[in-house]
Amino acid sequence: MKSLEGKTAVITGCLQGIGRAAMDMFARNGANVFACSLKRTEEFENHIEELKNECGVEIIPVYFDMMDDESIKSAVKEIQKAKIPIDALVNIAGTDKDALFQMVKMDDLRSTYQVNVFAQILFSQYIVKLMLRHGKGGSVIFTSSISGLEGRAGQLAYASSKAAIVAAAKTMAAELGTSKIRVNTIAPGFIDTEMYKDVPKETIENKIKRTALKRMGQPEEIASVLMFLASERSSHITGQVIRIDGGKGV
Amino acid sequence: MTNLEKYNKAFMEALGITEDKLAGLEYNTIPEWDSVGHMQLIAAIEDAFDIMIDTDDIIDLSSYEKGKELIAKYEVEL
Repeated sequence: MKSLEGKTAVITGCLQGIGRAAMDMFARNGANVFACSLKRTEEFENHIEELKNECGVEIIPVYFDMMDDESIKSAVKEIQKAKIPIDALVNIAGTDKDALFQMVKMDDLRSTYQVNVFAQILFSQYIVKLMLRHGKGGSVIFTSSISGLEGRAGQLAYASSKAAIVAAAKTMAAELGTSKIRVNTIAPGFIDTEMYKDVPKETIENKIKRTALKRMGQPEEIASVLMFLASERSSHITGQVIRIDGGKGV
Repeated sequence: MTNLEKYNKAFMEALGITEDKLAGLEYNTIPEWDSVGHMQLIAAIEDAFDIMIDTDDIIDLSSYEKGKELIAKYEVEL
């Protein structure tokens, strides 16, 4: 039996990178997916159609803007209307605006927190409310970053927002445990995604040197941990942060 | 079933109480209406009227009577 057979997951950030890899892996392992994205593209919709046919599961695209609370609410209404019990919420969508501490614009700080913290908490409030209805519990996963655990020069907004979501997740885990809802966070390291496409090769090589595995991670390697956390295989894990960083600093 | 009957049924089923306990009932005044019971109540009301209650209203729904006022915002007439 596939590890997510019969489950339904809401995944944000499905257009590309880790979100896309998670959507694909969840579907291939039997899960129905509400595939959330900011942008609607022909390639994305074609990919969903192909994936549905390949896997025999439901994949419903949901489009919304995490900068806009009303847009988030509308998306949840759409999900609610489908009347499919939700088993897992995977929060992947995020944003990054790099600047040194003294150069951080307050507007950039606010918009980073809006997407990486406030919107994720609001969206989770609504989706958890749907999870509570069926009484079977569920799994909520947030995506932090090793920057959120360690801090990093030039990433004040991003790193501090990723630290905030760790504390939010732990708090949710403490509150939702009695409802059989587990809440965990992953903290990816250097992953081969769009986020690094404009980063100079030399910088990436320097980052890789600091890992035990001496390579960037692939989105699928993050997706497999997300799948584990969404499945019953992690049924006694909650309130944890799992680093997926190729052994950075060991 | 009238909307008022649906509203009462949501309270009775979510909190496991009888109709005679509804009038004047306030949040956290009975063991059944604690924070967990509150979310079950919200889910029951949302299901009964096919609405999605905003977070601010979830917090404000502090009594049986206050709930009647709040759901009027969602075009539900009791």
